[in-house]
Amino acid sequence: MRAGFWRSAGLIALRDLRVELRSGEALTVVFPFAVVASWIAPLATNASPLLLRDLAAPVYWLITLLFGMMIVLRQTALETRAQRRALALTGLDPAARFAGRSGASGLVLAAVAGTLILPVIIFYDYRPPSGATLMAPVIILAAAGLAMLGTLAGDVTIGLRARTSLAPLLMAPLAVPLVMGAAQSLESLVAGKSIITWVLALVIADLGLAAAGVMSARALEEISL
Amino acid sequence: MKKRLLAVLTGVALGIGLVLAFTSPPDLLQGDFVRILYIHVPSAWLAFLAFGVTAAASIGWLFSRRMTWDRVAEASAETGVLFTAIALATGMIWGKPVWGTYWDWGDARLATTAMMFFVYLGYLALRRTTTDPRLRARRSSVLGAIAVVQVPLVYFSVKLWRTLHQGLTIRPDGIQMDGAMVSALLVNLAAYTLLYVTLLSYRTALARLEEATAAERIPVRSPVTVPRLGEADA
Amino acid sequence: MTRPSSTQPPSAGSPLVDLVDLSVSLSGTPVLSKCRLSLRPGESLGVAGPNGAGKSTLLAVVATFVTPTGGSGAVLGTPLGSPRIPAVRAEIGWSGHLPALYPDLTLGENLALSARLSGHPASRGQQVLAQVGLAGAAGIRAERCSNGMRRRADLARLLIGSPRLVLLDEPDAGLDQDAAPIIDHLIRRTIRRGGAVLCVSHDAAKLSGWVDRVVEMRDGRTT
Repeated sequence: MRAGFWRSAGLIALRDLRVELRSGEALTVVFPFAVVASWIAPLATNASPLLLRDLAAPVYWLITLLFGMMIVLRQTALETRAQRRALALTGLDPAARFAGRSGASGLVLAAVAGTLILPVIIFYDYRPPSGATLMAPVIILAAAGLAMLGTLAGDVTIGLRARTSLAPLLMAPLAVPLVMGAAQSLESLVAGKSIITWVLALVIADLGLAAAGVMSARALEEISL
Repeated sequence: MKKRLLAVLTGVALGIGLVLAFTSPPDLLQGDFVRILYIHVPSAWLAFLAFGVTAAASIGWLFSRRMTWDRVAEASAETGVLFTAIALATGMIWGKPVWGTYWDWGDARLATTAMMFFVYLGYLALRRTTTDPRLRARRSSVLGAIAVVQVPLVYFSVKLWRTLHQGLTIRPDGIQMDGAMVSALLVNLAAYTLLYVTLLSYRTALARLEEATAAERIPVRSPVTVPRLGEADA
Repeated sequence: MTRPSSTQPPSAGSPLVDLVDLSVSLSGTPVLSKCRLSLRPGESLGVAGPNGAGKSTLLAVVATFVTPTGGSGAVLGTPLGSPRIPAVRAEIGWSGHLPALYPDLTLGENLALSARLSGHPASRGQQVLAQVGLAGAAGIRAERCSNGMRRRADLARLLIGSPRLVLLDEPDAGLDQDAAPIIDHLIRRTIRRGGAVLCVSHDAAKLSGWVDRVVEMRDGRTT
């Protein structure tokens, strides 16, 4: 009778994307903030062109990680307790809710991460290596992983007042494989090596997170009601 | 009192371990710095053991919902954070003279230990902010279980990262040890394991007491009474 | 306060809600103590009591949101706290004191989401909105609606399917006179289909207008 897993997940993702489109928290608040951060970092150095070019990639990954967490934990993507209760009573599978919310956040995150390349090119005079388009799947995989990790961290800290600071604290150290996979893919491209090992590492990390999310969904739902 | 006997035994074992650590011969390459390892290696090993126990107890709670598991998970996490802090601090103190740097980015074990340290600091913060014992158990058991998925991933990704670059040459595992050194290390390992068990049993007992106090039967009494609006205004 | 249920024959069938000496503590503070409550198909029960008596918590327990810490309870034949509880949730309709609407979505989108998740076509959302007199408001975002409109839309959510157990928390709060019959309709429709209704309010007189039987609740106990 009730909607199946993928259909439910799709409906939840659609809901989150629609809310994001209307509230614009990720694209009109967090994104400009991230651009400001990427612009301000060179001010802390003596801005020698060579140093800046070396700094470009690390700054990019750091900003993507930090602001990515902000996007996943954005206020407008949070559900109120009444909303979560009403959702549970539709018979919604909590694993589908996890998939839908992570999917929507991942999409927004990938879009923001992709666009953030622009300020880095401008402010750091960064020159992307040849074959840089291969980074597209890498960014998508990393965004998906961050989104799942953030959704999990957000759900574990649901209803806590310290949530805005606690969730990133829980999330950041667990993001190591994602950051490393993404950053090292780029390094391999620069060195003219194959990136397949790192893409594979990202895929494994994503699968691990997806499994953790699906398996803990029921226990986390009980906290949220 | 079994716990007290355990505590006394632990004290004696730690004393013997310390004496052996100072009387064992200095290392050819590291000199007296090798003595730090008699603290560092056991702490690091116990940190991993403690977090392993936390993960197992978290999963145990998720399946059985018995509060004992949650108390063990908490006690082990707290003890683990303590041992991790000791391991990281002694590692850095040892690393500076021997490796020439406080932090070796190429060591996957170091990176994984640091990640666990941060994650379990968060774990303890998460527990502190939740007052309801059942909700606390639920939240922290999920985190405990997720963290254990990430540990091997972090380890292997750092390993992979550095095998593609160059590493350092002197590592603790590459050191040739003579008999007196091996026995000093083993005695310390045993002493620290005893210390872990002692701390775990005391902390678990404390958690049980805390919960018993919180659960004391208070009769339900609504704190809301009929407003008496005339009184103060008159 | 108890009105004999003369209008209804003693209902048969196993109880839809059965709480025996049920207790709940939240963060160590006891909120419910030794509650007893039984609801059979075709029954409607009101629980009245002052602020802080534990009415909303009782409703949250029956709605399977809060797991009891003592005693035992079963809802729709399934013991509370059992792993099979999620499977019965789709048969429960609940409206709390805050409407479960997404402020950035229109009323139509809100109801369509609930409808589609529970396996109905999106148009079902439009239908129930029309039923509660909000046909013309479907395109308005929930954040721009008045409290009363949100309230109506939240009750419309319970009309999408036909839940066997309907749980209402101060359902008329913020509703105008025109909207009052919605509650009556919702309750009678559920009873007619062999379901049961549990409604809590601080106003016992109002409750007795909606339901067959009213019990008093004080200091976490039902009387």
